[in-house]
Amino acid sequence: MWKASAVACLVAAAIVFPLIVTVNYFLHLAILALIFVMVAQGANIIQGYTGYVSIAQGAFMGIGAYSSALLSMRLGLPVWASMAIAPIITAVAAVIAGYPSLRVKGHYFAIVTLAMNMVVFIVLVNWISLTKGEPGLPSIPSPEPINLGFVELAFEKRRPYYYLTLVMLLAVMAIVTLIVRSRIGQALQAIRQNEVFAEAAGIACWKYKLFAFVFSASLAGLAGALYAHYMGFINPTPFSADASLNAILAVILGGSGTLTGPLVGGALTVLLPEMLRVAEVYRLIAYGLILILVVIFLPRGLVPAVADLAARLRGNKPGKDVA
Amino acid sequence: MIIDFIQQIFNGLVVGSIYTLIALGLTTIFGILGIAHFAHGSVAMFGGYLAFFLISTLGIGLLPSFILAMACGALLGVVLERVAYYPVRNAPPINSFIIALGLTLIIEKTNLLAFGVDQVIIPTPFNRVFSVGGVTMPELRVYVLLTAAVLVVGMTLLIQRTWIGMAVRAVAQNRSTAALMGINVNSVSMFVFALSSALGVAAGVLIGALFAVAPGVSEGLVVKGFAVLILGGLGSIPGAIVGGMVLGVTEAFAAAFISSGYKDVISFLLMIAVLLVRPEGLMRGKTR
Repeated sequence: MWKASAVACLVAAAIVFPLIVTVNYFLHLAILALIFVMVAQGANIIQGYTGYVSIAQGAFMGIGAYSSALLSMRLGLPVWASMAIAPIITAVAAVIAGYPSLRVKGHYFAIVTLAMNMVVFIVLVNWISLTKGEPGLPSIPSPEPINLGFVELAFEKRRPYYYLTLVMLLAVMAIVTLIVRSRIGQALQAIRQNEVFAEAAGIACWKYKLFAFVFSASLAGLAGALYAHYMGFINPTPFSADASLNAILAVILGGSGTLTGPLVGGALTVLLPEMLRVAEVYRLIAYGLILILVVIFLPRGLVPAVADLAARLRGNKPGKDVA
Repeated sequence: MIIDFIQQIFNGLVVGSIYTLIALGLTTIFGILGIAHFAHGSVAMFGGYLAFFLISTLGIGLLPSFILAMACGALLGVVLERVAYYPVRNAPPINSFIIALGLTLIIEKTNLLAFGVDQVIIPTPFNRVFSVGGVTMPELRVYVLLTAAVLVVGMTLLIQRTWIGMAVRAVAQNRSTAALMGINVNSVSMFVFALSSALGVAAGVLIGALFAVAPGVSEGLVVKGFAVLILGGLGSIPGAIVGGMVLGVTEAFAAAFISSGYKDVISFLLMIAVLLVRPEGLMRGKTR
């Protein structure tokens, strides 16, 4: 009950936000935060629930962004169609990348995925005939306007795009919640806790791992598509390994293996560097320090820490099962 | 053609020897603490900048600056271990990885603040070019290769032949048993960080002399270091040496005969292929 009302409040706040805040810059940041939360939620599936740290979310975001942009620009597909196809293309790429790399575990897996991210980045920079390389793709179209009868949503404006991203994110959250609470989610968590036991208990681990990897990649692909059609311009820079590392940070910061953690963590990884902008040069140093302090002092992440605190204030024992 | 071939092997070995220096640090740290020390590349770049500062601004000689920078690197390593990694030694490995990312940010940006955004090349007086049977060997490259070789041999002897090296190997094999045998595991960790960071700094200085020290180099460098680890097997010192050379030569060949833009792609694909065919690395079995 308490949890349901908290969720309702959060959604309500997200809906009202662009009506209250009229500063374009804040709205811009909010859209980027929503997009990045989606990437973080994807990373959470493979990293938080399955226990495989993938450093390739940035690459998948890039594949999604470039596929959607190129489909709409080169093939002239409607933007909505390209945004729907982009996650599928990303998923195919993830199957190709994931099938061999998921045979290895732990640090090996992390490093292989990091290398994959760098491969994708180098290809984006060097395949100039397709991607136009470093200077990037300009004038990517916005999604076609939708007429709701009483109002026309023109997505080249910030506010409608904010709502588009919000709706997408809510849908993603719903799907993720369903998956996590299903048998699949249980299997994933079993793999995280002890893959050998899970295998012995009759779970075909490789299928579940591949599913988690591909699903997380397609979320990143969708986020990438949303990013491309929002910004109207993409170049390889935002899809480097840095983006993947940020996604990992988002998961850890918020609370890995929790549904709400990536919301907080994803938003923070976008907003924190901006908030620290007061001291331009020092902000990334401060950002690094905050990370280290969080990991040392709140190793389970912010959301479980706050939930524990809230539980303690209400006189309950701190619980471990925070959703 | 054969001359080209030998030329590329030489070029590859020079770059590979630097990768080996980076990888040796990463692999010992990994062997002892199970940490993927991602900040190692930025430590190396710090060393490059520091050496440049010592040489150009303070006017200290090349060799003393090199040694001084390595000493500072060792000190930095100890500080990193104590302040950042020690508190999370019992937490899941991902936590120490995040710590490493935080450290990378901090060191990288401190470099920017302290030394500026421009790339710097460490000045050396070695401008001669040797030619051996048609193979061009710039003096500087030969010295880089020799320096790296001396450091690698020194490090190997230290680990294989000395008492403290034996302690390091013991902790790598079994941490708790080593502690029971009276080895101070904490000092070993600090020692490993000092040694590895000094080697990393040495690599940074060599890169600074050979190419340039610049913001943004460190990430690629540390990933190359990890690629070497994968090639050679995590935690293996001979593996790091062989892996570094293989990676360097592969890259040189890829750049010369295939495409310089895609040389990194080719070296990463090699690494992925090795990982899938031989996940234990090329040199496993001869480790430690």
